Amino acid sequence: MALPKPTKTLTLSESSYLVEVLKGMVLTMGHVIKNIFDQDRFRTIEYPDVRKPMTARYRGAHRLMLRPDGGVKCVACMCCPTVCPANCITIVAGEAENDPAEKFPVSFDIDMLRCIYCGFCVEACPKDAIRMDTRIYEINAYTRQDMVHSKAYMVNLMDGLKPEAGAAYRADHAIKPHGHTPDEPPVA
Amino acid sequence: MPKVKVNDIEIEVPAGTNMIEAAKLAGVEIPHYCYHPHLSIAGNCRMCMCEADSPRGPMLEIACNMQAREGLSIKTETDKVKAVRKSVMEFLLVNHPLDCPICDQSGECRLQDYYMDHGQYDSRGVDPKVGKHKRQDIGEHIVLDAERCVECSRCVRFGDEVTGTGDLRLMNRGDHTEIGMFPGTRLEHNYQGNLADICPVGALTNKEFRFQRRVWYLRETDSVCTGCSTGCNTKVCHQEGEVFRTLPRRNDDVNKSWMCDPGREVNSVVGSLTRLLRPTVDGAPVADATAVLAARIKAAGPGRTGFVLGSSASLEANWALLQVVKANCVGARVFRVAGNNAGSIVKSDDFLMDADKNPNTAGVALLADWAGNVGDAEALREADLALLVVLEDDIVSRLSGNPAEAIAYFGTHTNPTAELASIVIPVAHVVEMDATYVNRQGRVQRARRATNPQGEAIPAYQALEKLGAALGRAPGTSMPTATFAAMARTVPRLNGLDYKALGAGGRPLAPAPEPAAAPAAEAK
Repeated sequence: MALPKPTKTLTLSESSYLVEVLKGMVLTMGHVIKNIFDQDRFRTIEYPDVRKPMTARYRGAHRLMLRPDGGVKCVACMCCPTVCPANCITIVAGEAENDPAEKFPVSFDIDMLRCIYCGFCVEACPKDAIRMDTRIYEINAYTRQDMVHSKAYMVNLMDGLKPEAGAAYRADHAIKPHGHTPDEPPVA
Repeated sequence: MPKVKVNDIEIEVPAGTNMIEAAKLAGVEIPHYCYHPHLSIAGNCRMCMCEADSPRGPMLEIACNMQAREGLSIKTETDKVKAVRKSVMEFLLVNHPLDCPICDQSGECRLQDYYMDHGQYDSRGVDPKVGKHKRQDIGEHIVLDAERCVECSRCVRFGDEVTGTGDLRLMNRGDHTEIGMFPGTRLEHNYQGNLADICPVGALTNKEFRFQRRVWYLRETDSVCTGCSTGCNTKVCHQEGEVFRTLPRRNDDVNKSWMCDPGREVNSVVGSLTRLLRPTVDGAPVADATAVLAARIKAAGPGRTGFVLGSSASLEANWALLQVVKANCVGARVFRVAGNNAGSIVKSDDFLMDADKNPNTAGVALLADWAGNVGDAEALREADLALLVVLEDDIVSRLSGNPAEAIAYFGTHTNPTAELASIVIPVAHVVEMDATYVNRQGRVQRARRATNPQGEAIPAYQALEKLGAALGRAPGTSMPTATFAAMARTVPRLNGLDYKALGAGGRPLAPAPEPAAAPAAEAK
């Protein structure tokens, strides 16, 4: 394959490189000096002590919603696994005795390694049972099995909107609870 | 035959043809709930309304109650018809609960389909919906949800006209009308599954399939029920190699639109624990049991080897067995044994459930007549055999005893014969292979492969091909299409048939040659 021809011929100062290198050093040193004397301009966030504020529409990890009576809202209608483009949701449906909802998910697993965080499952849900509003982006584990979020796990993310956001999640991951809560600005 | 017009498409149909069927022939679909080709006309859903020409101009009429007559012209897509359909949809859905997320019918629900095609209105409902009895256990196989019902009365007519039990009834009036049973009664007949099939909505659903799988995941493969010799045409619904339900497939010559409840369960054993999965010799798993079997057949010698044709096995498998014997074991005796396998369906009646529980009795009789010199159970009992090769039939139960010194069993599931057999070769179940069966009417019907065989099973005709190769001459039966074609060329009563000619609904066998021919020759 022929290489593309350079569109611009270099001037003498550019082709000597020396002037350009010095220009770059001036720029870098300019930032260094500015940052030393004006630290509010600092671009780097000291993660994990400081968290980046996520925008309102940022999705993050899924959580499962509960009804006022404490049961899961999900009725295992299979709309989310149907619409899921990554095929990462596995639901086993069962019959709920003594419950007018009749059907409930015996298990509800999301393989977070496959999930592409598109949010289609949330849009497809007719029961507002699954939400991606936790804004939890630290989704990690040491084994593949641990990357599959179970029903119990996602139900425990229920407190995602409260100040102690994702407490169970952070407890599992030994993350200090000083991070932002989704509806509040980050705490430094 | 009268000519009728459907949306100005002129077609010729037999006089008296229902106009919904006539429109279908013209390629026009008329939406309907209460009409069913095998039930009487009720005309109460009003969904099939269309405009028919009359001396007073176009009039709205229900298509299901119109019969084809010369000059009849209907229009199904006029503005008036569309407005009527929309109103009918709104009316039917006034009290319909929003159960779609938990309703097994969704995905194959006429209310969903027709709302998207013909409804699409904004709800004007302001009053609370009328509540009815939900989740009623009305029979061994059926759950009734009266709220979801659109009062089409198909199930009522099924009970009155097909089973004659008259168990389901429409009760009360107006929007309090609901479907139900008499107090203290339950569905008692053996055709309950059909109620779930004919229900156009989710009011009657099947207990076995309840919440098992969403229907849109399932693939459907045309098959034939192997529960008895009736050979009901079926659709096997499967996903990723697992069979979830078996539904009847319409065939007006065999089972109309119906099938029995035990028949629906026949395919549920495909992946069961009793399935034979690995070839074994004397109880130990081996890689190639056919080679061992070939060696033992040679050791026993043709005079002391017997072969049993399988009335539960396909035509192709029986043909392959006959070809193996013909090519490699001249002098070996062939038998067929009447009777039923252990564990087969117990019930029988005079409608669809035949007392003969073998799907291919007629096919084996056909091949036995063609081959000639096939012994029966009595001959098998008296024969002094060192080795008996058995194709799928559970002969130990049928003869109540072991007739030979050793048995080699080609079968799908464990049974008394498999337990006694010294060589067991697992073969594919009917849903796992292409095969043909001849039912009690002498109709050749084809089942198609839906899933891959379990374990190390292969179709019986392929296992017999391997056996033939190990014995010296392979019968050439590895491909079902070629096997059937070879059989159809050779066996006179199958002449002219092939898989393509069998189509979806099968074809009757050519009539048997007149047995009266021989006495007539004597008379001369």
